[in-house]
Amino acid sequence: MIATFVAAFGIGVATYIAIADSGGGSPVCIAGGGGCETVANSTYSHLLGINIAVFGIAGYVLLLAASLLRGDAARMVGFGVSLVGFGYSVYLTYLELFKIEAICQWCVASAALMTILFGLNAIRMVGYVGKPA
Amino acid sequence: MSGSEERRNRLLQIGSAAAFLVVAVVLVLIVISANKTSGGDTNLEDVGLVGNQLKGIPQNGLVLGEPSAKVTLYEFGDLKCPVCKAFSEEIVPNVIDSKVRDGEAKIEFKNFTIIDEESTPAGAAAIAAGAQGRGWSFIELFYRNQGPETSSYVTDAFLTEIAKGAGVPDITQWNKDRKSPKTVAEVESTTQEAEKLGFTGTPSFAVEGPGSNGLETLGTPGSSEAIEEAIDAAG
Repeated sequence: MIATFVAAFGIGVATYIAIADSGGGSPVCIAGGGGCETVANSTYSHLLGINIAVFGIAGYVLLLAASLLRGDAARMVGFGVSLVGFGYSVYLTYLELFKIEAICQWCVASAALMTILFGLNAIRMVGYVGKPA
Repeated sequence: MSGSEERRNRLLQIGSAAAFLVVAVVLVLIVISANKTSGGDTNLEDVGLVGNQLKGIPQNGLVLGEPSAKVTLYEFGDLKCPVCKAFSEEIVPNVIDSKVRDGEAKIEFKNFTIIDEESTPAGAAAIAAGAQGRGWSFIELFYRNQGPETSSYVTDAFLTEIAKGAGVPDITQWNKDRKSPKTVAEVESTTQEAEKLGFTGTPSFAVEGPGSNGLETLGTPGSSEAIEEAIDAAG
């Protein structure tokens, strides 16, 4: 239930970043400053020519679906996707802090949501995988 | 061990292996990016630092500061000039913090191309960035990533990376603007203006305000204090 809510929220955050980028601009930091602009303008914001927020949307959609489904397949997919998402979020946070030298609140928000989802999915997987649905 | 326990253990092993793999991949990615040298077309130096330095200050064309500021400081510079880079890093930031940020003065950058033939496209690219409100971000970021004076590094790719790092919103328009004869003519025109003012090197400064006798040339002041005093006198 919590995972469903967090994943839905994640879809919203990632969609906002993707829409802001596709409009030729960048996400607007709520507290002002150019952090979001700097991060969005960096070469790290795109992977294979696609904004990484698009990958984020796909990930959150999968996590939303996994949270609504029962069974080991859903548990393993939820764990796997959130694990990759969490790992990539760690890498992106490292880039923001040490390479781009700017922090984007939207990226931090997404990283926090992905961390929560990883925790929830890890608990779900370790606790219930292999047991009856 | 029952079948379901075996299955559970196998799935847990898969999960653990996946976690181990992800940790390893993230570490490798971090190590690779940490070893990547800055500069070039993938990593610009000091994007965040320049962003912070100019944060909250209006940029119009190549003018930094409140348009209504009563004193205007003119900087005649060449983006390929190493002394201009040193000024941009050590002297101009103090003036921005003490005089520009509070609206007392504004700084207008004017191209004075003296280094080589690459100075003109560099200056034109700054003007084109200025047309999209990113002139000073472009100039400062260019200086922070400036190459050796005698090398040919001002390529389209280099300029485009600077423009992107500076946050120029419309790169297609910027490309069009920087190559237009009007923009190139503007670079040549300000260079002639500098020569008429008697400047022979970059950066050279001039100041104008209600307290000055028209446009007063300052040459190349040796410190930020000297520039600040000139602004005070012109105010």
